[in-house]
Amino acid sequence: MIIKYFAWLKNITNIEEEKVDDKNITDVKTLKEFLLKKYPQLDQYMKKEDDFIRVAINLEYVTTNEPLNSKDEIALFPPVSGG
Amino acid sequence: MIKIQEEDFNIEDEINRIKLQHLNVGAVSTFIGYVRSLNNQQKVTSINLEVYKDMAYKSLEDICLKAQEKWNMIDVLIIHRFGKLNVKEKIVLVATFSMHRKESSDACNFIMDYLKKDAPFWKKEFYDDNYEWLENTRLTN
Repeated sequence: MIIKYFAWLKNITNIEEEKVDDKNITDVKTLKEFLLKKYPQLDQYMKKEDDFIRVAINLEYVTTNEPLNSKDEIALFPPVSGG
Repeated sequence: MIKIQEEDFNIEDEINRIKLQHLNVGAVSTFIGYVRSLNNQQKVTSINLEVYKDMAYKSLEDICLKAQEKWNMIDVLIIHRFGKLNVKEKIVLVATFSMHRKESSDACNFIMDYLKKDAPFWKKEFYDDNYEWLENTRLTN
């Protein structure tokens, strides 16, 4: 799956996107666990309100623990500020 | 119509282009957002707008459909810019076209509320010697 990072999250990951191929990632929860191990600095933001770091799967926001598959495009967002 | 673009635009030309397609338009409501010179008690020099373009198109199209279901809209135009923008430059235009005033103004506010809350854009605001990523105030409804 492809994971994309936006705005100041890129300061933590140091990349805009990456391809992740890990059999242990089966849903949003296991993806977050994987990312927290890889980027420990995300922890303080993931711990904030539930939706502080938002997740989108294939261009749709998700707020529950949805299943993931290898072709999904995942995006991690900080709070938005358009308009 | 949704446009996500770096370049500036002419408000009147954009509105006329749509209005000419619909003889029954009686009301057009607009919201125009600009880069202002002061924010968080600091002098703003410019902003950089980042966008997740594919998702922004999809989410703005979804909200236009919702607005069109809720009110009797004839057409909707959203133009949102990205990239580097200087003070006084336009950031966003929302224009709603309907037969009557209330429908167009309610729909325009509805779209802007949604856009502020959910559309995947991020402002990095530059001051004389530092910068800050902004966060929109969250709406409760």
